[in-house]
Amino acid sequence: MQNESSRVVDALPAPVWTALADGRIDFVNLAWREFAGHGPDDDPGRAWQSAVHPDDLPGLLGHWNAIVASAEPGEMRARLRRFDGRFRRFVLRARPLADASGRVTGWCGVNTDVEDCGPVEHDRHARGIDFQAIIDSIPAMVALMTPDGALEAINRHALDYLGATFEALKHWTTADTVHPDDLPAVAAAWRQAVATGEPYDIEHRIRRADGAYHWFHVRGLPLINSNGDVSSWCVVEADIEDRKRDAVLLASEKQLLAQALEDVRRSEDQLRTIIDAIPGFVWTADPDGSVDFLNHRWCEYTGLPMFDSLGKCWTSTIHPDDSAALQAHWHALLESGRPGEFEARLRRRDGAFRWFLIRTVPLHDAAGKLVKWYGQNTDIEDRKQAEMLLAGEKRLLGMMAGGSSLPGVLAALCELAGAAFGGCRCSIALVDPRHGQLSGGAAPGLPRDLAAHDVGPEAAAAALNSQVASADLLREQRWPAWRAEAVAHGVRSVLSTPIASTSATVVGVLSVLGDRPADSPPDRNLVAQFTHLAGIAIERARSEAALRQSEAFLAKGQRMSATGTFSWRMATGEITWSEEIYRIYELDPDQPATFELIDTRLHPDDGPSHNEMRRLQRESGGSFEHEHRLLMPDGRVKYLHLDAHATRDEHGQLEYIGAVQDVTDRRLAEEALGRVRSELTHLARVATLGALTASIAHEVNQPLAGIITNANTCLRMLAADPPNVDGARETARRTIRDGNRASDVIKRLRVLFAKKEATTEAMNLNEAAREVIAMLMDELQKQGIVLWTEFVPDLPAVAGDRVQLQQVILNLLLNAADAVRDVAGRPRRIVVTTAHEDDGRVRLAVEDTGTGFAPEDADRLFTAFYTTKGEGMGIGLSISRSIIESHDGRLWARPNNGPGSTFAFSIPCPPGRASSAGGDNDFRHAAGNQRDHAVETF
Amino acid sequence: MGLPLLVSVVDDDESVRESLPDLLREFGFSVQAFASAEEFLASGHVDATRCLILDVAMPGMSGPDLQHELKLLGKPIPIVFITAHCEAAMRPRLLERGAVECLFKPFSEAALLEALDAAIGAGRARGGARPPEAQQ
Repeated sequence: MQNESSRVVDALPAPVWTALADGRIDFVNLAWREFAGHGPDDDPGRAWQSAVHPDDLPGLLGHWNAIVASAEPGEMRARLRRFDGRFRRFVLRARPLADASGRVTGWCGVNTDVEDCGPVEHDRHARGIDFQAIIDSIPAMVALMTPDGALEAINRHALDYLGATFEALKHWTTADTVHPDDLPAVAAAWRQAVATGEPYDIEHRIRRADGAYHWFHVRGLPLINSNGDVSSWCVVEADIEDRKRDAVLLASEKQLLAQALEDVRRSEDQLRTIIDAIPGFVWTADPDGSVDFLNHRWCEYTGLPMFDSLGKCWTSTIHPDDSAALQAHWHALLESGRPGEFEARLRRRDGAFRWFLIRTVPLHDAAGKLVKWYGQNTDIEDRKQAEMLLAGEKRLLGMMAGGSSLPGVLAALCELAGAAFGGCRCSIALVDPRHGQLSGGAAPGLPRDLAAHDVGPEAAAAALNSQVASADLLREQRWPAWRAEAVAHGVRSVLSTPIASTSATVVGVLSVLGDRPADSPPDRNLVAQFTHLAGIAIERARSEAALRQSEAFLAKGQRMSATGTFSWRMATGEITWSEEIYRIYELDPDQPATFELIDTRLHPDDGPSHNEMRRLQRESGGSFEHEHRLLMPDGRVKYLHLDAHATRDEHGQLEYIGAVQDVTDRRLAEEALGRVRSELTHLARVATLGALTASIAHEVNQPLAGIITNANTCLRMLAADPPNVDGARETARRTIRDGNRASDVIKRLRVLFAKKEATTEAMNLNEAAREVIAMLMDELQKQGIVLWTEFVPDLPAVAGDRVQLQQVILNLLLNAADAVRDVAGRPRRIVVTTAHEDDGRVRLAVEDTGTGFAPEDADRLFTAFYTTKGEGMGIGLSISRSIIESHDGRLWARPNNGPGSTFAFSIPCPPGRASSAGGDNDFRHAAGNQRDHAVETF
Repeated sequence: MGLPLLVSVVDDDESVRESLPDLLREFGFSVQAFASAEEFLASGHVDATRCLILDVAMPGMSGPDLQHELKLLGKPIPIVFITAHCEAAMRPRLLERGAVECLFKPFSEAALLEALDAAIGAGRARGGARPPEAQQ
């Protein structure tokens, strides 16, 4: 002891010594050494024995052994030699030093000089060495053994206990005093002790008087004689059977306990195994919320050992955005003591965050007090992803249904996909249906036209209609230009997937572009999902655009053609109008279409026929057409043509789908045309007047000349002597006749050129032709044109307008005359023929030997304003044709086999469908009908 | 006095053939009327004709044709054309070809007399009563 305490101990005025637990003296203080006259370097373990009176030494040793064995404080008496050689009587008091568990760790002793204390001690020691009596007095089994293990002495206590004699015990090594099983160990231990001089300390069984073996703790201390050698060993044996038994019991109890503990541990292990097997994180916390257990999975996931995360340390693993809310929720739970759950993101050991559902359940003891919180965290990352994806998809579909523009939808889709693929950008390119070129659709965070490169993954995917991928663009050899642009924008990997329409054509390309080289391709199902969505969006947008376009076309078409569409449901009487009908009727489009509404605009004159039509259609249910007029509030009249088809709707009910066209312009135009045609007809007729001037003049001048000549003659005759009254009378007669003749010509001309309504009468073409020819005769003669007629005698009458037909004949004759007028070298001849044809028609033909025309011009001749004459208007033939056609006839021309041409017309006979004169309000749809006759012909 | 001179009238118009000869007779001429140029040529009165009153437009041989024909035949009969067609260029043309006159119907008696005078000679044409009050 080299410290403060040792100085204190050394300063004590009494001899103090310490010993080890087994009784070996290991220290004596200064006072002891000074008393005994020992040096500081003497081994206290041996030296002290030399200070003890030899007669007392065995007893002291025995006593000391017993005390050590008892582990109780005790005292001993012995004579100790002082430094001057004198012995003094001492009481040696020893006290054990124990540790916290009560185990003896050492002894300390104090020697008290009692030399001057009283005779009693003296007496005992004066008796001399009664060694036996000494050792007999020790309340323990004491024996003295030689170093060889032979028994020197043994006290009575021992003998009694063992029930043996000294002689018998002398052969203890070979007898069964010591339990046979322990004998080897005993012998070994004895030899060891003897060899080393260390205390002999062993437990073994010794046979008792009753034959039973008991356990004994045997201690032996060497007796050191005055020479310093071990003279003998003082062995004390203490019965520790009870202790042993207790120890055995304890051991077995310990074993049981160990077993129990082992069971507990095993079940704990099992429990732990179970806990660790639970697919989720399991944790427990104290009522105050401090976590005291986190299962293996938690630690594996977070990469944090449990002990670092106990208490509140686990909060560091929560995503910063979720942390505050989670803690608030947790505190609320702690207060309320009710079970609860919360969703939050936990950080994985690689830094990634995943969503977890955290469920907590309180445990209450029998009294209802909350003793523990149990918690379990379930990974819901996939579910959360799916939820977010679903929400995103819903949003997208909502955008599409709500009519958002395609670029907007595609951009939103790209954002959603980018988020879903985590750290990637998504782009969608569109394939133009006309020429298959790619154009950028949406590419958030990327150049818009990246996908439009002719050579690139997108182009390749579109062309091949299969996925094209590159895991690391820096190692990629293909698409140098595209790559350069992509890498410049931080793209390192790409997966391009074609987007297919429902008709399996490629309508676009969806690309996932990562900013890191991809160690694994993006989730295939996810890619398919987004591609599908994109396909829907694109197709929808395209078909909507097409629909809008066709709707616009339809509306435009209706507008341009002034045609509206309607539907009329028989069962409900419901009428639906397109916008154009409202416009035609000039009604407010917000009003529902009803028959009452129609009636407000219906022309009063057409009311009855319209009602009749409605009645008929309700009954018959067939397709029909109808025409009627509208009367606008300001008096304008509109003509409508209605065309309806009967169909069955989805319930099998009769429904009319039809179109209403505003044909006012057409009707008015037709009427105007009719008027114009009549005007033209008249004009043409008047234009021929010029051609007839000569004839007219001739016609009239002849009788006029006759009148004047006759009158002059008459005067002369009357002036003769005698007056020639008869002659005068004759001249007067001739005058009257010529006057009439002239008047007839005028009359005829007036009739021909009068603006008169067309009248249809039965007439003979021959006569009509003759009259016209008569009118032209002089003119023809003047021109040296010979005209023949070959008329069929019994030509049946035709129904027609005399004036108009004569106009036609006149036109043909004049044309023929013009054709032959300048002919030279052959006779100038016109032949007019009539014939009765097989099909009941009457034909009149005018053949000339004139200049003729080319066969291919045959139809052109009849077009308006076609003329070969310098002063001609060229409308004669077109008017003639329309006149003949209005008689249901035909007018044509053909070149002759020889020179010249033949113009002819044929008219049906008996009378055709010539309509009656006068206005006709029942408009019908027949082409080429006689409606022109209903208007004024001039 | 002497024999009346023969004037031939060639016109396809009947009223002319009816009325004109009477007037001419009143003038004191003898008259022959023909419906066509061919009839005149075939008639045998050609040489005796002192004046020919000739219609222009006739079917078959026209007036000018007859004029030409007579020239070819070497019969220089003075011709007075009469015509119902009033064509401005006609008269000078006919006169150029040797006609004495071209009268447009209806013509006055005075004009006729004047033409006859020119054709046959002054005074001779008047071999007959003068019209009392000839209204020109």
